[in-house]
Amino acid sequence: MISTDYYIALSAIMFSIGTVGVLSRRSAIMVFLSIELMLNAANLAMVAFARAWASEGALNALNGQAAVFIILAIAAAEVAIGLGILVAIFRYRETTELDLLSELKL
Amino acid sequence: MLSFAILAILLIAGSVGVISLRQPVHAALSLVATLMTLAVVYISLEAHFLAAIQVIVYAGAIMVLFLFVIMLLNVADREDAKFAWMKPAAYIVGTLTAIGLVANILQNPMPALNSESINNILNGGSAEAVADVLFNQFVLAFQLVGVLLLTGIVGATSLVQHKALAVKHEEELANG
Repeated sequence: MISTDYYIALSAIMFSIGTVGVLSRRSAIMVFLSIELMLNAANLAMVAFARAWASEGALNALNGQAAVFIILAIAAAEVAIGLGILVAIFRYRETTELDLLSELKL
Repeated sequence: MLSFAILAILLIAGSVGVISLRQPVHAALSLVATLMTLAVVYISLEAHFLAAIQVIVYAGAIMVLFLFVIMLLNVADREDAKFAWMKPAAYIVGTLTAIGLVANILQNPMPALNSESINNILNGGSAEAVADVLFNQFVLAFQLVGVLLLTGIVGATSLVQHKALAVKHEEELANG
C-alpha cells in the first residue's frame, strides 16, 4: 500500500499549481478553473487522511469521505452562482478580465 | 507504486495544463482529464462511491457548465504590459510553496498502513458505508446542502434571467 505521505505531497503540489493559476491568469474564468483545482487538491488530502485514520483504527474514519461528498455539492452550488455572476458582469462590461474590473476602487 | 507514479504524473501534467494552456476550452478539457484521473486516485484510496460521484458530478455536470459559459462568453487571455511582473512572481511563489510543503511532508513520515483495519472500517468506501455516515452524523449538513443548492438555483436563475426578460420585451415592442 502506498504511504499516505505521497498522496498528501501530490495534493500539496496540485494545490500549489492551483495557486499559481489564481495569481497568474487574467481572465476570471481561468481563475475560477484554478480554484476548482485547489478545491480538488483539498478533497484528495481529505480522502487520503480518511484512509490513514482508518488504518489506525478510528471507527469514524468515513467522516472524511462524507465531508468530501458535501464539499462536492457545495462546489456545484458555488460554480452555478459564480458563473452566473460572470455572465452578469460580462453583460455590463463586455469583458471578464480581472485587471479591468475595478469599479469599486475609490 | 508504478500505478501511483503514472497517476501522479497525469494529475500534475493535467494541472499544469489547466494553468498554462492559452485557450480556455483547452484548459477546461485539461481540468476534465485531471478530475477523471483524480477519480482513479480515489479508487486507489478505497473511496469507490466518491470516485463515481467525482466522474458524474464534477467531470460531468460542473465541467459542462464551465464549457457552456466559456462558449457563451468567448473569453481569451490577453497579454499586456500591465502587471507583467505578476506571472513570473506567481510561478516563483508556487514553486517555493510546493517545495516547502513536499519537503515538510516527506520529513515527517506517517505510520505504516494496516490494510486489514482499512478494509474493516472504510468497507471499500461503498455507497452503503458513506450513506451510513451521511444520514446519521451528517444529516443536518446534508439537509443544509439541499437548501444551499436550492438557493444556488434561484440565485443563478435570477442573475441570468434579467437579460432574457429585456430581450423578450424588445421583441414584443418590435412586433408591435
